[in-house]
Amino acid sequence: MTQRTGLLRRVMRPSVLVGALSLCGVVALYWAMALQPGTNAALVPPPPVILQTFVEELRSGDLLTNTVASMKRVLIGYAIGAALALALGALAGWFRWWGYILNPIIDALRPIPALAYIPLVIVWVGIGEPSRIIIIALAVFKPIVVNARAGMLEVAQIYVDAARTLGASKWRVFATVALPSAVPYFIAGMRTGVSTGFLALVAAELIAAPSGLGFMIQNAGQYFRTDVTIVGIIVIGVLGALLDQTASRAGRAMTAWSDVRRDP
Amino acid sequence: MTVNASAGTPKLAVRGLTHRFDIGDERTPLTVLLDIELSIPRGQFVCIIGESGCGKSTLLRMMAGLLTPSEGKVLHDGLAIRGVNQALGFVFQQDAVFPWLTVERNVEYGPRSRGVPRHERERLVAHWCNAVGLGSFRKAYPKQLSGGMRKRVDLARAYANSPDVLLMDEPFAALDVQTKATMQEAVLKLWESTQKTVVFVTHDLDEAVFLADVVIVLSSRPGRVHAVIDNPLRRPRDEATRVSDEFAAAKRALWTALQDARKQGGSAALPPVTNESSRQAVSNPESVRS
Repeated sequence: MTQRTGLLRRVMRPSVLVGALSLCGVVALYWAMALQPGTNAALVPPPPVILQTFVEELRSGDLLTNTVASMKRVLIGYAIGAALALALGALAGWFRWWGYILNPIIDALRPIPALAYIPLVIVWVGIGEPSRIIIIALAVFKPIVVNARAGMLEVAQIYVDAARTLGASKWRVFATVALPSAVPYFIAGMRTGVSTGFLALVAAELIAAPSGLGFMIQNAGQYFRTDVTIVGIIVIGVLGALLDQTASRAGRAMTAWSDVRRDP
Repeated sequence: MTVNASAGTPKLAVRGLTHRFDIGDERTPLTVLLDIELSIPRGQFVCIIGESGCGKSTLLRMMAGLLTPSEGKVLHDGLAIRGVNQALGFVFQQDAVFPWLTVERNVEYGPRSRGVPRHERERLVAHWCNAVGLGSFRKAYPKQLSGGMRKRVDLARAYANSPDVLLMDEPFAALDVQTKATMQEAVLKLWESTQKTVVFVTHDLDEAVFLADVVIVLSSRPGRVHAVIDNPLRRPRDEATRVSDEFAAAKRALWTALQDARKQGGSAALPPVTNESSRQAVSNPESVRS
């Protein structure tokens, strides 16, 4: 009972209500466009058709297979990219010599979009599963390494001085002062990493993938199945938003000590 | 210029300490501290006062080894310190309590850094949390505490590390009058029970009179030891002490010394802070010598 009222109250919050209305507005606008005289319903399918396609794809099992295939790639690529980025970013931002070694590499990689590596990765690794995961990992790596390094450079000197006067070794200052106080930056980077990861996912699956949401979108487009393409796009959007929310919640739980107001 | 020459090797000594800062694009650096000589005997409560900008905080940071002086040295038990001296405790003016750790984790930070075994750490945490009146807030995070309570955590953290000397840099400057008074009494109580040497920087005359055995008055630009004044105020001191005639007299003496230091420092009333005046102080330090 209390749970129901709790849920009701959450749904009734202005942020949720207005947000839902704003999404409805986008759908209505699209619908109006689809209903314009002279519009080809096969190319601009109206919302009910899209919904129908969604149900069909779900029933046939194709949607699930493709979603699972994509999620596997994203999660593995994300885990590898994020772990490397956090470790290297933290070292580069904190220890002078690690910075000397890593900063030029990080800064040289910074302006290069991860998708530019696709031809290289294909030539070197082939077109199998590993190359897709590598591309996703590369795309995830960049925003996280840059944020992690920035977070370590912003650590307040007062905490470092306090730890040093209390007898902490260099490593202890790194592990117990620098890392925890940079966590908000790590979270920010990891959230950006979710979206760049999905971006790379679709691109990676456009190259000869046998399954996945990117493959589904691409394949449907070649057969003018715009409805299937739109279903795929929506599923990617929803999955991305869910992952981002998860990252954000995990981040908030990890920074419960902070009284700084964070983005919603 | 020695505080007390009778006590053999001083607990903390400053010898011929001079420090210059590079300021902006100036060719000539600014001398902030000049020829400082101090000897602080074991167990004494010493306050350092002076105008803002006289270098008193810089001096304290050098005693801790957080800054290295341009010339001269700091001796601890007769030995010159190099790098951060981890046998000394430091309480900062700013809030330096780690916000990501609970009160008890903050308090055990020092002992843990030194590899004190767990059961001993637990004893220390219990003892010092109670000593500063935070026994029931051990599991709280700093953001849940008031500014005064966070300062108590800071004190407990410093004492739990059993430092040989405590250095405090205007620790209560940001607190309201009432909290400040309570904290001063807490510090006196801790000092009386531990007998640890304390060097306490402040710009608050009342605070200096209430706490100190000896008050060191610094003059400004460059900071020099202007006077070392024995505080005649009797111990133990409590709330009533603050409104006694004795207290007023001691404060007056200190006030006069501080005014003297100002005149001799060449920065009367409200000196303009310009490159001009600082350059003068640098290029001709002799003119401001007392």
